[in-house]
Amino acid sequence: MTELAQAVVNGLQMGLLYALVAVGLAIIWGLMEMVNFAHGEFMMLGMFGAWWLSSTLGWDPLVAMLPVALAIYGLGVLTYSQLMRRVQRGDAFAQIFATVGLLLFLQNGVVALFTSDYRFVSDTVLSRLSGVQLSILGIKLGVPLLMAGLLALALFVALYLLVDRTEFGLALQATSEDRDAAMLVGIRPQKMFAVAWGLGAALVGIAGVILANFFSVYPQVGLSFTVLAYAIVALGGFGSILGTLCAALLVGVVQSVTVVYLPPAFKDAFVFGSYLLIGLFRPQGLFGRF
Amino acid sequence: MRGIRILVPVLAAIMVVGGFALERAEPQAPKEVLIGVLLPLTGNFASLGQQYLWSNQTVEDIVNNDYPDLNVPLGPGKGFPGLGGATMKLVVRDDQSRGDLARTLVEQLVTVNKVHWIDGEGTSGNTSIIQPVVEGYGIPLSCHPCASPTLTEKGFKWFFRTGPHDRVMVDSVFRFLQEWPKNGGPTDLKTVAVFTCDNLFCQDNHKIALEHAAKAGFKVVADLTTKTGATTLASEVQRLQAANPDILFFVQYPAETAVFQADAKRAGWTPKVLATSNGAYSDQTWLEAQKKTNGGAAWLGRDPTAIDLASKKPSWKKVNEIYKKYSRGQDMGELAMRQITGMLWVADTINRAKSLEPAVLAKAAADTNMSPDQMIIDYKGIRFDKSNQNELATGVVTQIGWDGEKHTIWPWELAKQAGYTPVYPSPSWQERDAKPKPAR
Amino acid sequence: MAASRRIALGVGLLAALVYPLLIQATGYTYFQTVGFLVFIYAMLGVGWNFIGGWAGQFDFGPCIFLATGAYTAALASVHWGWSPWLGMVAAIVVSMAICAVITFPVTRLRGHYFAIATVAMWMIAQPIGATWELINGSRGLFIPLTPAKSSLEAIWTLGWGGRSKALAYYYVALLLFVLTMYLAHRVDRSKLGYYFRAIRDDQEGAEAIGIDSRVYKTAARCLTAAVFAAGGVLYGFWALAVFPDQVLEMNWSVLPMISTVLGGIGRLWGPLLGAVILIPISQVMSATLGAGPLAGRGLDVIVYGIIIMAVAAFRPSGLLSLPWARWFRRG
Repeated sequence: MTELAQAVVNGLQMGLLYALVAVGLAIIWGLMEMVNFAHGEFMMLGMFGAWWLSSTLGWDPLVAMLPVALAIYGLGVLTYSQLMRRVQRGDAFAQIFATVGLLLFLQNGVVALFTSDYRFVSDTVLSRLSGVQLSILGIKLGVPLLMAGLLALALFVALYLLVDRTEFGLALQATSEDRDAAMLVGIRPQKMFAVAWGLGAALVGIAGVILANFFSVYPQVGLSFTVLAYAIVALGGFGSILGTLCAALLVGVVQSVTVVYLPPAFKDAFVFGSYLLIGLFRPQGLFGRF
Repeated sequence: MRGIRILVPVLAAIMVVGGFALERAEPQAPKEVLIGVLLPLTGNFASLGQQYLWSNQTVEDIVNNDYPDLNVPLGPGKGFPGLGGATMKLVVRDDQSRGDLARTLVEQLVTVNKVHWIDGEGTSGNTSIIQPVVEGYGIPLSCHPCASPTLTEKGFKWFFRTGPHDRVMVDSVFRFLQEWPKNGGPTDLKTVAVFTCDNLFCQDNHKIALEHAAKAGFKVVADLTTKTGATTLASEVQRLQAANPDILFFVQYPAETAVFQADAKRAGWTPKVLATSNGAYSDQTWLEAQKKTNGGAAWLGRDPTAIDLASKKPSWKKVNEIYKKYSRGQDMGELAMRQITGMLWVADTINRAKSLEPAVLAKAAADTNMSPDQMIIDYKGIRFDKSNQNELATGVVTQIGWDGEKHTIWPWELAKQAGYTPVYPSPSWQERDAKPKPAR
Repeated sequence: MAASRRIALGVGLLAALVYPLLIQATGYTYFQTVGFLVFIYAMLGVGWNFIGGWAGQFDFGPCIFLATGAYTAALASVHWGWSPWLGMVAAIVVSMAICAVITFPVTRLRGHYFAIATVAMWMIAQPIGATWELINGSRGLFIPLTPAKSSLEAIWTLGWGGRSKALAYYYVALLLFVLTMYLAHRVDRSKLGYYFRAIRDDQEGAEAIGIDSRVYKTAARCLTAAVFAAGGVLYGFWALAVFPDQVLEMNWSVLPMISTVLGGIGRLWGPLLGAVILIPISQVMSATLGAGPLAGRGLDVIVYGIIIMAVAAFRPSGLLSLPWARWFRRG
């Protein structure tokens, strides 16, 4: 029984990390409905930012979060204003086309600058705590993961409040629902999209900085996390920030619990299988608005 | 039908531009020996591909420049003496870790660039894709670090491999484990768990490991295959912990290995013996990173060379200095050593052949009998069996010590020379954290 | 068909037929292989157009059917010695059947949800491919290489060897491409094509006039599956091996898609135009920027990415939407 409970707890902890990666996508794709194949690359850039600041200036990732977030915010806005804004004139598929190009450009740009070696950010505040463990009722909880999870939770709550409770957030939602109507009430959609891209990119950049504490840093690292992030946003439902969080936790738990009893090679297959199963009964995801 | 009206001129334009852009070789009296190098320089296997590229560039440097004191083939003197001083030229292509690109680029190298020899692709999967092509065109192909046994089991006449393959390498690990009790090791190792990733390389190892475990009399208590690119291995660790194996046979790439270590640490679990086969254990960056945490201490695995003994050779040191010029300061790891040795063999073969005719090259290759003293790696020599596999590439078993370096622990004669006692059992995570780390 | 169109079509076909013969004279068979790849990707692009361009659904999963096609024909060859042509028929039937069964339930999902469902199918297919013993899992299924003894036998077994292989496969790819274009052309003008486009433009409206969107979405996808299965068989016999991580690669879904978008989505000739541009460019890039002293820096792919972004930014409706007619009339 404790085995199952431990697996559930492990799953929740990983789920919070996944939520961290998915939260940026929840804005760009979940809310503004723009496809971004390069989402994982923004995360990867966040990881490289953390590594670079750590290895050249000795900054801890917790400190690096702010400058990296600002830099990637800028990158997100730039991506929208120079690329995606123009692509919006065309078909929705053109967004896939454009962001595939962006993916190739960013990933291999990093390869050109840093080579494809695996790098590790070591000796960080969080990793120094890595031996510390809480043991509640026989279930182990690693403190560093717990702290990362709490940070993810905090970001989520902040984002939820921003999108659902502020005027700015309402303007974002309005733009995504009906661009022309939004213009009529004085909202400038281009500005909204640019900020959404900046915010989404910055959030996943922060996710990268935090993940750099736990995972190796290399140019191709984006893929494994982003495929899950896409599933999570869709599972949670488009337009719902809290839906993304719930979906992330669900995904983490499904991944963790199924592998205790079933072949591990099918780990992600079970997650996506659950997506299909849930989709049969709720085609708009758990809490989707549209 | 504007489509058609555009297509013809566009296609023509691209073909013309492409034709001019591609290099065309015109070797008269061979002034240049063209070696086609096909590698995954971007994409999933880029970290491997780049090491092989640096290795090849090192050999090009050694062959074309005069290193009078360097005791490796074609070290002293410039160029190929057997070909009147012709220089070696690498023709490099990046296949982005994709099989379809590999397939077309190798055809480009053979039919357009007219290379004399192809070395690549570096990964067993893509090398199997290009084997039939090169075989069809009848020029020599070699891959030295490719470890899949199937590459030399399909009867290709033009494919040569100087490095050992997985059947040999996994065999070494299990022979060590079997012989250990009679050579000062523990006598109560009975159970083994197999933990491998799901791609070609790992699955080859997996199959061979299960065969050997059965023959050696170990009981397999867990057999888990994980998906590459896993973001968490916590549940897998949980299952392994529950199965409680004495020995964990572990085959994963560096990224997943790092995830495993973190999850095992959280679960507070280490098996008594952790045996690996290639993967992270061969990756120089992973090894360097372990020095900061003692994370690799007591890990043992097979190595094509007794690196602690080989690195004492002056030729090893000299070649390493040249290698570091291309690798931005990274030392040669065992992958680079295999590739450099293999490429030097290619150069030596071309030199002995005194010709660039494919049939003559193939004969010179098959006739190889290179002695170990000219090598920077610890093979017993280079001599090919009927399947063009180097039968003298055996390899050793090494273990990472508390100093973060690998030490030879098998065969027993070499282990005595290395003078190192294996660490047993594998230390707990607290012990790893507590003991001093080799690097900061 | 207007006379000018017929002439244009004829000229194009003639050029395509003669091109490799010219190459054969020079001995640079590599260029024939580039042509082979162009036609495979163009064919897959046309196949993708059924579900993507005409039915308007985001589909990232057609690579699954490439895999089912390749494996079916490969297994038939390895275990029963079937010719690849027979294998292709089997591959198409098997793939369409699988497609129908797995697609119909998810047609409940709309837009991006459907897209993720197709990704889900791919993610589920991957570990199956990697661990299923019948197809030898990750270790791959090898198709035994036996060079044919006569030209006629070679055409039946696709067993050309050595220097004539590239030429022969080019023509086979061209043939399959022409067949696929013919299929697309017929569907485009038929009621089926009309229904597909109706669903894309206004699903509720289509349903209101009695078009069952679920059935027709599935039908579109099954047409895509058939084309991908055929392509998979051709690829498998060309490569003489089927590996799960090679055929179940996302590239097989994405490259045809971006070729089609580049050329012009939903347009008949879009995929060919896109493939003709993208494939040679990536080959040339690799040969120039990915080679020599600049090798290993990924410069070839960086430039490739920049080109893609530039086209997307300045011509998001694809190249066929450029006012070619005006330009040619002026010139």
